[in-house]
Amino acid sequence: MSTGQSEQEFEQTVRAYGADMYRYAYWLCRDRFAAEELVQEAFARAWKSHSELREPAARKAWLMTILRNEHARGFARKRVDIADMDVYELEVPDAPPVGADLEQLLGALPLTYREPLLLQVLGGFSCGEIAAMLGTTEGAVMTRLTRARQALRAEHTGPGKRKAS
Amino acid sequence: MNCLEFRREKLQDPRRLSGEALAHQGECPQCLAFARSIDETDDRIGAALAVRVPEGLSERILLRHRDFGRPRLAVWALAASVVLAVLAVVAFGRFSGAPSDHYARLAIEHVMMEPKSLTTVRESDSGMLRSVVDGFGGTVTEPIGRIRYIELCPVGDGKGWHIVFETPEGLATLILVPEKRIRAVAIANASGWNALVRPAPRGYYAIITESPDMTAAVDRLIRKRIIWNA
Repeated sequence: MSTGQSEQEFEQTVRAYGADMYRYAYWLCRDRFAAEELVQEAFARAWKSHSELREPAARKAWLMTILRNEHARGFARKRVDIADMDVYELEVPDAPPVGADLEQLLGALPLTYREPLLLQVLGGFSCGEIAAMLGTTEGAVMTRLTRARQALRAEHTGPGKRKAS
Repeated sequence: MNCLEFRREKLQDPRRLSGEALAHQGECPQCLAFARSIDETDDRIGAALAVRVPEGLSERILLRHRDFGRPRLAVWALAASVVLAVLAVVAFGRFSGAPSDHYARLAIEHVMMEPKSLTTVRESDSGMLRSVVDGFGGTVTEPIGRIRYIELCPVGDGKGWHIVFETPEGLATLILVPEKRIRAVAIANASGWNALVRPAPRGYYAIITESPDMTAAVDRLIRKRIIWNA
């Protein structure tokens, strides 16, 4: 592929995925300026290693993974994933104040719950794809997604508002 | 499939139900109601996650990319982009008959174009601020706060000093724009930012913060600690 074609493809990629990348970054670090910097760094790294991308269809997942690694490297300073066995030990943090909006509730979720939810709801990825991106098992992702939704529903609807089902 | 299995599957991936799950949903009114409730919550989650993306993000990414490996050029390109953005705002203001607060909006635009100014911490001594203010026709009588960032930036058709400092309420930005006259104090709100512009003997200055209250507090601080020489 010529440099011109690569440049054009890169520009299309930035325009197609920049917004999703920013939102993912924002929900990882909860800081709009840091989020933009993360996205900039992730795209810079993606450009340097774009020859490694074998499947164009997997571009979005590839970019998200780069961004996640950038976040781990520069902001979290540690791996943001944890061993699968720990999933069953996780506790949802203390409930936010009554009346807290959904954005606050999402922010209060542990990253291990929030991240697969972001990837599924924002990114449109399947549990299998998310598992590959997070380097964990599909079962662990399913558990995290279930618990994330249960936690959000319980807090958002509140005990008095829960619908009978 | 029983109800428990259906609900487990629905909570895991609401939009990708298996054929078996879809069949169960069609036969079980309770699970159908449960599924609708989950879909409703997921829609709300999606809306909450879709935070506003900063304007011009793609352009900034591409600009940095194009100048990758050419640092000196990158600085000028960034400056040029700021000038273009500023000119665009001024032109827009002029052609749309914008009120005189467009300098305040211009200041907000400038801060939004330089997010790094708020995340970068460069130790700057108070002497530099004194020198900059002195050149602008003022005297710093007391420190205004810890200075984190001072840069000479392209603003409008000239240059201005972009200063970020710490206040008890949080970070504040002060932009000193020489040789540009404004007639009166003006304020503007845009994209979660609040700005106030005031005339000064050798131009005007702008204060940009995240809220009107904070802008007012910083404005009082500046007027108390910087004397503008007539």
